[in-house]
Amino acid sequence: MPEIHRVEAGAMGRVAYARVAPNEDLVLSIEKLCVAEGFRHAFVRGALGSLVDACFLAPGGGTRLVHGPAVEIVSLAGEVRTQGDGSLRAAITGIVADTQGHVHGGPFVAGANPVCVTFEVTLEEWLPS
Amino acid sequence: MTDFINAQPLPRPRTLVHPGPVGPIRIEHRHAPLGRHFRLALEPGRTLHEAIVEPLLGLGVRSASMTLLGGRLSKLLYCVAPPDPTGERVANYTRPIEVGAATLVFGNATLGRNGRGEPLVHCHATFVCDDGQVRGGHVVVDRSVAGAPIPVLATSLDGIELRITHDDETHMPLMRPFAAAAQRSPETSDA
Repeated sequence: MPEIHRVEAGAMGRVAYARVAPNEDLVLSIEKLCVAEGFRHAFVRGALGSLVDACFLAPGGGTRLVHGPAVEIVSLAGEVRTQGDGSLRAAITGIVADTQGHVHGGPFVAGANPVCVTFEVTLEEWLPS
Repeated sequence: MTDFINAQPLPRPRTLVHPGPVGPIRIEHRHAPLGRHFRLALEPGRTLHEAIVEPLLGLGVRSASMTLLGGRLSKLLYCVAPPDPTGERVANYTRPIEVGAATLVFGNATLGRNGRGEPLVHCHATFVCDDGQVRGGHVVVDRSVAGAPIPVLATSLDGIELRITHDDETHMPLMRPFAAAAQRSPETSDA
């Protein structure tokens, strides 16, 4: 198991903005954006757009599906970290609004949240010192 | 080592078919060398559009990503995006739903330009209506009004021009990043 650092000092670096096209996955596209920009670590600084359906991790290990289309992304938080094997992993949580405007939230399941029309995301590079 | 030994099957994601030709680039991206950050307090009585655009333009910021923190709105209108009954698009915004006064929980917004080159703010947010219902959606920023000085963290995207263009694939007007034509030099520029 990697050692857990209680505090990691660092600085913010570059800021990337992307527009993600339909049917690409919310979580994986954030990881791919970091690969494309050369970010090893990053924080999500802003995001809005829509999903076909939203899939959240539910308590107990199951999943919860919010049916669209379109499910609007109304709040998003998360980070991307380089793993011990060099791969990148995004952990993204958020709130979505369904087609009635009712809200649902949780951790997004990677690979199960395809973009509906568009997804705009801003990442800020994190440079540990 | 085996991860997820108790993993349950995921719901199968749906791949939707949009009306137009599929664009070859799936992630369009650009970066600014450094984020310049500003804290705004949205002026009560003004629309969210005016209260965001005017101070940022005054700072020379043409493209930005923003986080809207909690605060009161004296009037809020929003849209959701159910399936488009005409079939012209996969989903389309509803007519604005007016909820009156509301409390913002959290929102994200992007400052860019529309097709005519005018400033445009795209905003999605979560809010609490005065009847206690929590709702979310696409905020109609030119008709929603700040009721208190709502704090906003704005990050300038220097060197990136965000512009709404018609998207052939989805038949929707969408914000996309382009290289800024004439970049205003930020303090970090050594040009």
